[in-house]
Amino acid sequence: MRFTKRLFMSAVAISIVGTMSGAALAADTIAIITPSHDNPFFKAEADGAAAKAKELGYESMVLVHNDDANKQNELFDSAIAAGVKAIILDNAGADASVAAVKKAKDKGIPSFLIDREITTAGVAVSQIVSNNYQGAQLGADEFVKLMGEKGNFAELVGKESDTNAGIRSKGYHDVIDQYTDMKMVARQTANWSQTEAFNVMESMLQAHPDIKGVISGNDTMAMGAYAALEAAGRKDVIVVGFDGSNDVRDSIKKGGIKATVLQPAYDQAQLAVTQADKFIKSGKTGVDEKQLMDCVLINADNAAKLETFALK
Amino acid sequence: MAWVPCALRPLFLSSISVRIMRMKLLMAVGMTAFVSLAGCKLVKTGNAEGQAPVAGEAGDEARIAALLQETYDAKLVPLLRSKATDLVTLRTELAKSLDEAGKALGVRAGGAGGSWIFPVKASGKIIEENRQSKAGTASVDIDGDGQADATLQLGTVVKGTALRDVAPSVYDFSKFRDQIEFAKLGRALNDKAVSALPAAGSLQGKTVTFVGATSLRSATEKPLIVPVVVEIAP
Repeated sequence: MRFTKRLFMSAVAISIVGTMSGAALAADTIAIITPSHDNPFFKAEADGAAAKAKELGYESMVLVHNDDANKQNELFDSAIAAGVKAIILDNAGADASVAAVKKAKDKGIPSFLIDREITTAGVAVSQIVSNNYQGAQLGADEFVKLMGEKGNFAELVGKESDTNAGIRSKGYHDVIDQYTDMKMVARQTANWSQTEAFNVMESMLQAHPDIKGVISGNDTMAMGAYAALEAAGRKDVIVVGFDGSNDVRDSIKKGGIKATVLQPAYDQAQLAVTQADKFIKSGKTGVDEKQLMDCVLINADNAAKLETFALK
Repeated sequence: MAWVPCALRPLFLSSISVRIMRMKLLMAVGMTAFVSLAGCKLVKTGNAEGQAPVAGEAGDEARIAALLQETYDAKLVPLLRSKATDLVTLRTELAKSLDEAGKALGVRAGGAGGSWIFPVKASGKIIEENRQSKAGTASVDIDGDGQADATLQLGTVVKGTALRDVAPSVYDFSKFRDQIEFAKLGRALNDKAVSALPAAGSLQGKTVTFVGATSLRSATEKPLIVPVVVEIAP
């Protein structure tokens, strides 16, 4: 079994090397590995990184790991075999990704992490992450204000293996729990998924028809929740998301979802490529490994300025 | 304050027999000391009992309490007092350019696109003390026109992390385990700051002098200040 899997993996690696070798000869390549582009947030990251790579004269090798650490490991093998000069990574698990990043490092290929942290320092060259905690506090401040500092609410939590799910939830509660008249009546994961959030919200509404607000760990879940609320004729429920997607922006403009928090995904990915380029050329980035980028509250006041995870 | 390698702490704390302790010590000496200490970071002894806070998230509270005790009065407040720009001066500079004012008088938070954090001070009249919200505030008129020029955060809920981010020389993110530990510091600083403010209801209509920090994203927004000192004029 294990043998077959190895054989399969090498076959995958070889086939990708085959397709990449032509490009690798033409110019240096940077690998851009993110979760699935089904979530526009990750697509914005990949697009931002690829655009900056092109601007700086690199080819890019864009891959997705679908939040599967084994798949990510295989993609690292492919990238290493293809001789990429650097890897831009939004990783598939804070613990599980350390080994893959270290493997690349041992082969002389530096990794530049965006969006999600890994649990070990000194393995990646840069870890540029949104200040999820600060962002969650901004979202929670707005949520509490919209709720008039009181009432029943539900929380939708992200995927457990992703550190940001926990960080955001903690940031929300750090603020909300200080208001004793805010009562959380339900809390459940919807794994960042829109359809899952729709289903979860439906059953939450049945169990707790007196819900006044929903705070969600990301925008796709907020969209799913709002769709369920709309279907149930409960557009009065206050929904706040996180990410700053165009979908939620449009909903805010129509008076649907009330607020979200922008993570500067596009700029962050570009910054990672800029640092990779500097590192490739000089052996250092000149900045600390761990870098935090602040998030920005998006509501009806500034939603119009939001476009593809960046403020115009 | 002593620094104790965490590998040695179990020896102080455990009730295992002396023989096992000796064995461990012998092993530590016999093998290279580096091996036994590898992966351990130095942990500060935190409290009166001389025990260091445990590593990881479980020790955050004790570690941050110790850090606050060591830095708040000794470093942060003096730094704010010495670097604070008078709000009237700041307003003049902001009118020229947010970024130029930031570079000269503030600290950049969260990289490009983030806000600027300024240490600030001023004297003015409290025209409204709002304790309706748990995030209590006081509006201050600084230039005497009867309009609020700045807002002081009074707690108990305090928004933002200006106090933490205004002093990267004291609180450096890269020295913290992760965002969570760093965030807990932000919260602890806010709680500490408002715990020392004048009692609720005592500020309305009074003239006060204050020192604090504020985070600004635009040149025109009214500064929302976390004060570390609010003195009521006699």
